Amino acid sequence: MATAKKPQEFYPEGDALIGYVEQRKRRGLVWRSIFLCATLIGVISLIALLYNIINSAFGFVALQNEIDPAALVLSVEEDRMLAAPNLISSEDDEELATGVIDNPFAIGFFGYAYYQEHAADLHILTIDGIEPTAANVESGDYPLARPLYFYTDADRLADKPAVAAFVQFYLDNVTAVIEDVGYFPASENALESDRNTLARALGDTDSADAVAEDLLIAGSSTVYLLSTVIADLFRETGFTGNIEVQSVGSTAGLAHFCSRNSAVDIANASRDITRGEVEACRDAKREPLEFQVGTDALAIVVNRGNTFAQNITLDELRMVFTDAELWSDVNAEWPAEPIVRYIPGIDSGTLDFFAEEVFQRSLGELPKQTLIDILAANVSTGLMRRFENDQPFAERTQENVYELVLERVVEPTVVATWTLRDSIFRRAEIEAFIQDVPNGSLDFRSWLTWNFVTSPQSSTPEDAGIRTAILGSLWVILITLLVSLPLGVGAAIYLEEYAEKSWFNQLIDTNINNLAGVPSIIYGMLGLAIFVRVMEPLTSGTFFGVGDPTTANGRTVLSAGLTLALLILPLIIINAREAIRAVPSSLRQASYGLGATKWQTIWNHVLPTALPGILTGNILAMSRAIGETAPLVVIGASTFIVVDPSNPFAKFTTLPIQIYQWTARPQDEFRNIAAAAIIALLVLLLTLNASAVLLRNRYSTRI
Amino acid sequence: MQSEISMINQRELNVTDATRINLKHQPRLGETVIQIFLFLCGAISILTTVGIVFVLGRESLLFFMDPEVSGQSILLSPEAGAAALSEGNLMGLCMADLGACGQQIGTSLVTFFSGVTWQPRIFEFGIWPLVSATLLTSTIAMLVALPLGLMTAIYLSEYASTRVRSTLKPILEVLAGIPTVVYGYFALTFMTPVLRNIFGQNIVEIYNTASAGIVMGILILPLVSSMSEDALSAVPDSLRQAAYGLGATKLETAINVIVPAAISGITAAFVVAISRAIGETMIVAIAAGAGPRNFTTWGDAMERLALLNPFKGAETMTGHIVRISGGDISYGTLDYTSLFAIGLLLFLMTLGLNFLSRILVERFREEYE
Repeated sequence: MATAKKPQEFYPEGDALIGYVEQRKRRGLVWRSIFLCATLIGVISLIALLYNIINSAFGFVALQNEIDPAALVLSVEEDRMLAAPNLISSEDDEELATGVIDNPFAIGFFGYAYYQEHAADLHILTIDGIEPTAANVESGDYPLARPLYFYTDADRLADKPAVAAFVQFYLDNVTAVIEDVGYFPASENALESDRNTLARALGDTDSADAVAEDLLIAGSSTVYLLSTVIADLFRETGFTGNIEVQSVGSTAGLAHFCSRNSAVDIANASRDITRGEVEACRDAKREPLEFQVGTDALAIVVNRGNTFAQNITLDELRMVFTDAELWSDVNAEWPAEPIVRYIPGIDSGTLDFFAEEVFQRSLGELPKQTLIDILAANVSTGLMRRFENDQPFAERTQENVYELVLERVVEPTVVATWTLRDSIFRRAEIEAFIQDVPNGSLDFRSWLTWNFVTSPQSSTPEDAGIRTAILGSLWVILITLLVSLPLGVGAAIYLEEYAEKSWFNQLIDTNINNLAGVPSIIYGMLGLAIFVRVMEPLTSGTFFGVGDPTTANGRTVLSAGLTLALLILPLIIINAREAIRAVPSSLRQASYGLGATKWQTIWNHVLPTALPGILTGNILAMSRAIGETAPLVVIGASTFIVVDPSNPFAKFTTLPIQIYQWTARPQDEFRNIAAAAIIALLVLLLTLNASAVLLRNRYSTRI
Repeated sequence: MQSEISMINQRELNVTDATRINLKHQPRLGETVIQIFLFLCGAISILTTVGIVFVLGRESLLFFMDPEVSGQSILLSPEAGAAALSEGNLMGLCMADLGACGQQIGTSLVTFFSGVTWQPRIFEFGIWPLVSATLLTSTIAMLVALPLGLMTAIYLSEYASTRVRSTLKPILEVLAGIPTVVYGYFALTFMTPVLRNIFGQNIVEIYNTASAGIVMGILILPLVSSMSEDALSAVPDSLRQAAYGLGATKLETAINVIVPAAISGITAAFVVAISRAIGETMIVAIAAGAGPRNFTTWGDAMERLALLNPFKGAETMTGHIVRISGGDISYGTLDYTSLFAIGLLLFLMTLGLNFLSRILVERFREEYE
């Protein structure tokens, strides 16, 4: 066989011989490693394939909520506070202070500065035993301490030199006056970063020229006090323009600031700007710049004549400002006198801050009734009625209502997804991304969940599931099995036990081997032309009186099952023949010797002995059929159905088809659910193959 | 019990000749029915082939008879040109005038096999954009699968210890058992980004034939390696022993003795692999692109080998069939029949290759038995 070579004329000896042998050995070693590497490429590919699927099936998703859940909770809490009896609510802190001074059973809260103004007439409470001193505020021990800000934007700084000059002046002088006003100075770090922000915004422009322009400052009543003092000082430096400082509350101030062509130059705020407000600002072509100028401690004050309360816990605070009617309801040691509450108005940042800090509940912790109220306030009455019809609210659990609120009110939508690898190694980038998403939140998600397996198809990837596809696959495979198993085994028995060497049997034999090599898509075309088109009355069920003749067509489970049956028939025949051939002929001879007929021999002896082999081959053929996609696409699997297939004449989709359709979509989330569906498919196949191996091992020793 | 039966038998035997058991061959109706049923089972496979040939042939005929394919109306008089072309009257016209019919089919075939534009919407039916894409992806797949598959087979059959082989073979079998749609996903979401990172985002398009071809090679790798390994291990050990006895190293034995001895089996494996690659559908449908790489003229197609650029998208024959049939097509339209023409070509190509491989295997069998 090897090609003839010229006989070698040079025969090495001694060292030359050793060198020659060594060289051949080396070459052998090198090639051996190359062969090994080639083999390992297959293994590496398998690993890469599995890694890729798992990588896509798990990972972070960035969600954007229609409504920030925290804002929902906040509005609930504020509503409860504002609904309390004996309540006086005002944007003017001065009014609150005088109110508390006049009533011995009053309680109120406002910025520390107002307390300082009236320190002689008011009595301040410690919270959980901690006093609002400069040290406690700076260390963050005092629970109701909050930073004070003002906001302006870069364009305004550049366009109006007066604004720039005023901001510069503000930052330079705030520390000197803040304690006199009644607040606590901002940390040196915060001021440093303020100066940097300003320098960056101004760039090279000269900020020293204070042109006489009008300045409008609006916002928080807390920062108002500070800003008026600074404004007075600024006028003293020779600024001749008109400075107007308004106390309208943080929310209103920022709302004005962030509206188009706003006259407000600077917005005071006693809380962080929210993402929604940033978004509003950007819509109005303003990029808010944040300057922290100090820290405020919220003072909880009572009348000077109030001797019973010295300290109050957070729990007691919650009760005092919501449902409690009498002081004794809160604490048994306190008198049974009605509580008179003085709180800032709904527009004030102080109220938001108080509600946020004192009631730290998440949306999921709210009671069922509150959640139902939220739902009712945010969805149409028709939808509420539908929910009620599905299952009365009285019977629903709090979790169930919470899910409804999440789904219908918070309405999270996926804005971006990351792979498992990115989720682990690029965490910082992902977290930076989510900062820029208004109302965004980050969620680590496994796309393969029980919910995914059990819910029907959907056009939104988060709600989509594979139940219809799994059921479709099972239905199709059932039909395939029922048709191909008897036909395949029958053909194998005929060819092995009955067929004599005739040209026709030879043809069948060759033909089966050729059919095994025909591309699966050709079977799809056969199925399309024969089962779907020609045999439409049969496969659509109208022949049997099932199904609606006007809408039914042949693209059904039955057509798909029959097509796949033809496709795997050659495989089953070939495998079954192997198994039958392996049955020792002594078994047949013994049976014939006892007088059994041919069929009795086959039925009672050959088939039972060959059965494990036949079944193994059959299971392997089934797993091939389950994974087939192309022929089913050709015969026309449905692209979108949510109805479970319930009979052979139903429209269908299968797991591989679903994977194909999701993979073909450009959005990332569909890739993620495709990966999850692939895992489900592989698990299904693995189960089948494992059972084939078990079957083989269990019975192979019996012969 | 036993003795009782024999006693009865004896008694019967002894009574008269008339009651004696007839030991002659008796027609057994049940057995015959069963045999006929089993024969029919076997014949179903013939029916399948007949069905495939009939379906593909019939629809292809309708396709080639349609004057729109070549743009020349020989079969239909110009007056009848405007009349609605239903399947029935096309067949009838053809039967009525066989000469014109043959001429019509002939011109259609010429356009079909010489055109470089496949745009059914404007009645351009040149098969080359599809065939060239099929050949391109198959070639890339073969470049991956054949060398790797053969080397794997040599390693497993000649070098690997029993333990290594019993670990590696099942892994390769798993690779062979994964559905092709999963490979398609792998090509699109893994191989394409890898290629784009290596060769540059501007050079490699998102949908490209290289990615589909490479992954197809990985898919076919286990097929090549297992068939080749079967061929290699079927070579009698005496050949190995003889080579070792002459002082050959393991490598020299494998390359100069074993592989040549098994060459027909290996070639058969290669041929089956090619046929598999040509018929492979889901990988190219997902990763190779949706839309044939059309050209206006052959010169245009040949320019800088534009037909062969692996980093651009292209639609193969199978990819086209899947894409078109995935949408709503109505029976009897040119869209529908053209798919069957492509399918017929595909069927003939794979059938030829399968026959070739069977011939090679037969030759190989005869050598050592």
